[in-house]
Amino acid sequence: MARTVILGAGIAGHTAALHLRRMLGKEHEVVVVAPNSKWNWIPSNIWVGVGQMSVKQVTFPLAPIYKRKGIEFHQALGIEIHPEGSPTVKRPHVSVKYTDPARAGQVANLEYDFLINATGPKLNFGATPGLGPDGHTWSVCTAGHAVETAKAFEDVVAKLKAGQHQTLLIGMGHGTCTCQGAAFEYTFNVEHELVKEGVRDNADVIYITNENQLGDFGMDGMNFGHKDQIIPSQTFTESLFHERGVKAILSAHIEKVEPGVAFYEQVDGTKNSQAFDFAMLLPPFRGVDMKAFDANDNDITAEVFAPSGFMKVDADYTAKPYEEWKASDWPKTYQSVKYDNVWAAGIAFAPPHQMSRPRTSPNGTVIAPAPPRTGMPSGVIGRAVAQSIAERIKHGAQGRVHTASMADMGAACIASAGKGWRTGQAAAMTVFPIIPDKEKYGELGRDTKETYGEIGLSAHWMKVMLHYLFIYKAKARPFWYLIPE
Amino acid sequence: MSVLETFPDAPVPTEKELKARKNVLLQFVRFVALNLKMVAMINKAHH
Repeated sequence: MARTVILGAGIAGHTAALHLRRMLGKEHEVVVVAPNSKWNWIPSNIWVGVGQMSVKQVTFPLAPIYKRKGIEFHQALGIEIHPEGSPTVKRPHVSVKYTDPARAGQVANLEYDFLINATGPKLNFGATPGLGPDGHTWSVCTAGHAVETAKAFEDVVAKLKAGQHQTLLIGMGHGTCTCQGAAFEYTFNVEHELVKEGVRDNADVIYITNENQLGDFGMDGMNFGHKDQIIPSQTFTESLFHERGVKAILSAHIEKVEPGVAFYEQVDGTKNSQAFDFAMLLPPFRGVDMKAFDANDNDITAEVFAPSGFMKVDADYTAKPYEEWKASDWPKTYQSVKYDNVWAAGIAFAPPHQMSRPRTSPNGTVIAPAPPRTGMPSGVIGRAVAQSIAERIKHGAQGRVHTASMADMGAACIASAGKGWRTGQAAAMTVFPIIPDKEKYGELGRDTKETYGEIGLSAHWMKVMLHYLFIYKAKARPFWYLIPE
Repeated sequence: MSVLETFPDAPVPTEKELKARKNVLLQFVRFVALNLKMVAMINKAHH
């Protein structure tokens, strides 16, 4: 009998849990630890944030799904890992603190044979003073945040209808943010709603970003093959901004936010401010605050986790300049650098470096988009890790180690630009591989036949279809496993 | 005072292109084509 504990029930953790349960006999235990009672299809939070979907449409309770599938569920937060055991508990274990109202605050030790760290990111609003729902800006990072943001947006629309001019600032709340795609989507959904409400003319919509140019998306930009042409994602994105009248502030690090004004520095060192009536600014991510200890209770956190708080895995973490980055720097198996029965999946693994060229202002401020790890790679990684563990359980050390390098993996991204069966619009983008590989694909770094972008109503329909498809899959309905990650 | 960029030199879609992006029949064809493209991409991602 083997016991696998999975910390986190986001896309990577939940995918790994369902696949492990499907691949292993009932004599093996699959345990999920997650602080939230509900699963959230995060890509649709942007629609909650403009009042076009309810929280109920993007979330569902995890406990009934896990009960039906025979997965042990603890609504708790992982706080410590003890991969060698401890003086009091000899076997490897994780210490968790319950968030379940029935056991809130209680601490327990959960023993494991295999551990998957799929804790996702900590939303680091604290990195920028005044950022976030506890400060002066809104967020769509969680369904709860998004519903509050929708109420604030509704107020903005009401003021516009009353004839008041409004400035809406949307984007990145720090120079090291990721998820530019989500901010892009929210920007254009807001713009779309303002047009629908007949109040667009009286509103300024401004996108603020740490990207050096539009269309970078934290991926060093893309080059879309289109018939006989190569269209840079910069041109593709600037065209949409021009068409929809959205202004932008580029290469920016927001230093602080005060009520109604964001203070920022740009990569040339100049410092400016932007007044706003409504701001939705995403926070930077870091790893969750988890500690690691050896058998004697010595703190080994720095050996297991990178300074960013993400777990170190089989990547090449040697510090090197942008010009020397290689696709092979990126991890393949996601096994911990220190323990071969511990993996990190999804956002929880420490990337070796960014994908976009990092820049520093003359004042020493780092303005460097962090690499995105969207749903598709997170799901694929979660499944590969589950397969590796199932192989180890069934065949011991001879079991096949599955790989899922983002340097060999493509991704599809549907970025919504407005909701509506007849009026909706989205940008459908495919990229292959996710990590640029100049050795294999030349200076552009990617296969331009497989890297493609298109804007239209059809892409919106795809986004809606994926919403229902992935929620169906996450609910583990019949034949869920036939739906790819 | 902020530094706003507006991208006046960026190409804009023609009227014909804008209509095509909203044409239900044409977009249905694109929907099928996009799905096939995504399936091919997914197969590559799951090798």
